[in-house]
Amino acid sequence: MIKFIFDLDGTITAEETLPIISKNFNLVDEMENLTRETVQGNIPFIESFIRRVYILGKLPVDEISELLRKAELYSEILNFIKTYKENCVIATSNLECWCIKLLEDIGCAYYCSDATVEENQVKKLTRILKKESVVERYKSAGDIVVYIGDGNNDMEAMRLADISIATGLTHYPAKSLLSVADYLVFSEEALCRQLSQLL
Amino acid sequence: MSSIKSVIISCAGIGSRLGLATTKALINIEGRSLISWQLEMFKDIEDVRIVVGFQANDVISEVLKFRKDVTFVYNHNYFETKTGASFYLGSRHANEYVLEYDGDLIVHPQDMKVLLDIEGEYIAYADKMSDDAVYVKVNSIGDVIAFSRENGDFEWTGPACIKRDKVKYNSGNVYNQLENYLPMRGIKIRACDIDTYEDYQRAINIVKEWYIEE
Repeated sequence: MIKFIFDLDGTITAEETLPIISKNFNLVDEMENLTRETVQGNIPFIESFIRRVYILGKLPVDEISELLRKAELYSEILNFIKTYKENCVIATSNLECWCIKLLEDIGCAYYCSDATVEENQVKKLTRILKKESVVERYKSAGDIVVYIGDGNNDMEAMRLADISIATGLTHYPAKSLLSVADYLVFSEEALCRQLSQLL
Repeated sequence: MSSIKSVIISCAGIGSRLGLATTKALINIEGRSLISWQLEMFKDIEDVRIVVGFQANDVISEVLKFRKDVTFVYNHNYFETKTGASFYLGSRHANEYVLEYDGDLIVHPQDMKVLLDIEGEYIAYADKMSDDAVYVKVNSIGDVIAFSRENGDFEWTGPACIKRDKVKYNSGNVYNQLENYLPMRGIKIRACDIDTYEDYQRAINIVKEWYIEE
């Protein structure tokens, strides 16, 4: 079976999700620089993610989850996922407790990072998703894996995938992806056309 | 029109014979890049796939000035491979029919219009013009029966249109891929490609004549 594994932030959502949280809770200054540098690959992803979770972890988990549920999504991509739900998977480093409602609304399988939650706050990060492990899982099950993403933390997953599509929908894709990607698209239309051709 | 056809423009090459130290898609012709003239011809085609390699980032940003809905296809091995590999990569997950268009080719816009409306497979060729060409030999009805480095009736310029599933990986040129399927329908067009500096000078006049004055 062909499996389309999507990055979430900036690939399905029309904006990065962590900045949505920081904007809502007035933590923009602390977060903005960190997010930008991470997307471009200038700060190691895991380090940056730990720092960002530390900043945002004190905020109420239920409010964040509701907030992210309202994130603007790319409608054509969402339609594609809903139409071919069995073929689609989301791999996001974001915390499950923060984006579970959004992911459930989208409706396909998903893999996230995990944390323990106490008193409606993130207590402790327990697992940071390595997206390449999701690719490996489906490949070893005999699936043909197409990986779609735009960030530096998508690179290893892209390298392992049978077919990789770098996207520049929300921001220009991380430079590192351009040396491994098979395809590069800058519009939903082109992405969905390519995905349909791969079915 | 042409929704089942993908157009594959191969722009991965180094353009070494031209001697301008720039990939051919970016060379300036009458104030515009070569790729911009080509994109205009394909503006009604939904699935335009541009194979990039040498100077990929520059080609991508030039293309994005004109349209955002193309698919860029990477030929990461552009230094070791030729147009055959780029055509294969561009075709791999494309529509049922693929139109091969070499990034250094200029086709008369009226002829291109005609070609885009033709159903099925074909090979297009032109009157001999270049110094260092590959030729086609044709039969009495103009179908292509052979390619040759030495001599022939016309110059092989492309484009060619072929079923996607027939395009196999090939480390040589596009015509080496097509050779396996000869004879094929042949269509004569007005076209020139740009390999050398002399070709480039000629191309500037041709664009003036075909695209600007007509």
